[in-house]
Amino acid sequence: MGSTSTYNNNFLKIAFGLGLFVILCIGGFSYKHTQDLRDSMEMVKHTYEVNLELKNLLANLKNTETSEHGFIIINDSSFIDSYNSGRIKIAENLKRINILTQDNPEQRRNLDSLNKAIGKRLFYLSETLQSYKLGQIRSPKFISSFKLGNQKMTNIREQVQAMIAHEDNILEIRQIENKKALERTPIILYSILILTLLLLLVAYGIINRDLKVLKENNEQLNIFKESANLSEIVSKHGSWTCNIDQDVYEFSDNFYRILGEEPQSFESTIENFMTFVHKDDVQKLTTQVENMLIEKNLPFIYYRIVRKNGEIRHLKAFGELYVNNEGENKLIGTTADITDEVNNFRLIEERNEELERNNKELSAFNYVASHDLQEPLRKIQTFISRLDEKEYEKLSDSGKLYMSRIKKAASRMRLLIDDLLQFSRTNKSDNVTELSDINELIEAAKQENIEAIISKKAIIYNDEMPTMMVIPFQIKQLFINLIGNALKYSKDDIPPVINITYAKVNSPEDKNLPNLANGYYHQICVIDNGIGFEQEFAEKIFTLFSRLHSRDEYSGTGIGLSICKKIMENHKGNITAEGKLNEGSIFKIYIPC
Amino acid sequence: MHNNTINIVLADDDEDDRLFFTEAFEELKIKSNVSTYNNGVLLMEYLNKNDSIIPELLFLDLNMPKKSGIECLVDIKKNPRLKNMIIAIYSTSASEEDIEKTFVLGANIYIKKPNDFKKLKKALSEVVTTNWQYQTDNLNKDNFLLRL
Repeated sequence: MGSTSTYNNNFLKIAFGLGLFVILCIGGFSYKHTQDLRDSMEMVKHTYEVNLELKNLLANLKNTETSEHGFIIINDSSFIDSYNSGRIKIAENLKRINILTQDNPEQRRNLDSLNKAIGKRLFYLSETLQSYKLGQIRSPKFISSFKLGNQKMTNIREQVQAMIAHEDNILEIRQIENKKALERTPIILYSILILTLLLLLVAYGIINRDLKVLKENNEQLNIFKESANLSEIVSKHGSWTCNIDQDVYEFSDNFYRILGEEPQSFESTIENFMTFVHKDDVQKLTTQVENMLIEKNLPFIYYRIVRKNGEIRHLKAFGELYVNNEGENKLIGTTADITDEVNNFRLIEERNEELERNNKELSAFNYVASHDLQEPLRKIQTFISRLDEKEYEKLSDSGKLYMSRIKKAASRMRLLIDDLLQFSRTNKSDNVTELSDINELIEAAKQENIEAIISKKAIIYNDEMPTMMVIPFQIKQLFINLIGNALKYSKDDIPPVINITYAKVNSPEDKNLPNLANGYYHQICVIDNGIGFEQEFAEKIFTLFSRLHSRDEYSGTGIGLSICKKIMENHKGNITAEGKLNEGSIFKIYIPC
Repeated sequence: MHNNTINIVLADDDEDDRLFFTEAFEELKIKSNVSTYNNGVLLMEYLNKNDSIIPELLFLDLNMPKKSGIECLVDIKKNPRLKNMIIAIYSTSASEEDIEKTFVLGANIYIKKPNDFKKLKKALSEVVTTNWQYQTDNLNKDNFLLRL
């Protein structure tokens, strides 16, 4: 949109310039046209003046001639006066004609010859008058002068006519020229006017369209502003601008609300704002604002304000420089009320502390279980072994029976304490995974079970395992438990055979990975040929203290497989069991690659 | 070594354990001179005396009042007169943490107190008959914990 508006702006400038130019042209044309008209009128006037003078000249000449003739006939002196005044008038006529024809060389030449002819005519007149005064009337000289004078008169008349004709001719030519010019002028003026009008129309159209776009944009801007206002209210934000050059601030409505005030209820100055800032934060914030004005940037800052009702709110502010078209430096900033976040954070921290306390208590309990409970039990067992060794023979039969019962109960308690301790150890969250050699861990697990392996003549096969990211002691415990189980629940008549196999599987493809993230998993199967179990108990065997057999048949605490499950949960993996009664069982464990 | 009387010291705050310990040595028929101390402070007071006989073997309980076995171990290893003494940790717990710590601090062997008197005798006799000269050179984390 920006480029369009620049384009429009340029067009408007060009149209405006053209319009101005055209109006100037029209002015010029009109001026020239008027000038032409005036010239042509002058011309007509001039021609008429010349023609009039020429006709006057001729009339005066005739008058002079008639006066002389009258004098000769009647001999009245009044004719002589008329004759003399006629000659004066002729001279004046010639003088005026001379002035009028100054700029026309041809008329000047005509005037010269006319001048001479008139001179001759007047000479002949004065000669005949002279002859008459001397009484030599009808003398040959008189007659010849009279005749010659008459001829000259005709000559003069012709010359004057020629001059009049010449003036008329010039006038006619000029008038034709003017007429042509005057005919074209209106068309040119008119077309220029039309062009100007068109330009104005186009400019008007563009301005109108721009105005419409501007109006639409304005409306959108208003909507945006309103929604920004709303979102500020909902998200507890306030916005502000700071004109760095003039140190002038503007606060949004919600900024006032964050401060606990009515929108625009006080002047938006930094001083007024500072009155709300918590007194412990004033110094820090003042420095930060000073830095903001110098560096023209405001990184995230945190401070507190105190509302008029004494409520303390935690705020977070951030600002960035914006340079507008006029080159003004403005900081546009946002201030968020993070009191709820801070409170939630505190709550979480408090809960975390509580959890940590609880965890510590649990650890302390673990210690009690591991150490303080073990110790008396160990002593009971040691004393029993002393009794068994030294005093056994002195006991009655029932005493011997009780003795063996006590021994059994004590061992069972030891087993329970050991397993519970093991179970709580797998709870620890501070165990980190490391790249471990699974083959080594399996080997160590076999060593832990070595007595049972030897006594039951068990055979254990295992695939070559790749290294995996695991918590080593937990995975070792897992194998100890699984191998231990396979040995414990073996058939009496055949030696146990345990196969530990490896495969790499993909999570969506294997149905045993329903709730796990997609990707590849190490699948390790521990397969035995023991007594197995019914498939319906496959889930139940992993729950704490659950057992499928009575204690008389198989010793156990019901904790071992729960430990395994917990270990796999710690590894974000899974463990499943498949069993067939009297055939064996398969435990599958999945560890993410 | 068997021909001479061996000086053995036990530091343990538990009366019963001290009883088992002394009884076990009585039954083991090893010429031994066993003395016991009720806590770490008393033990260190004895060891730090200039005229004290430095025992060939020290059995050290970890969890004792006033001064723990770990603190005693640190002090002993700092003292040039005592630092070559063979030290067996003799504790109820066999937590990885304790085993690791005492191994690093320079103990020679870690015995988890057995719950059977016969096993106790076996463990003690094994420790006493071990050729420590040889064993110390081959000491590593895997054979540090005595297996019975």
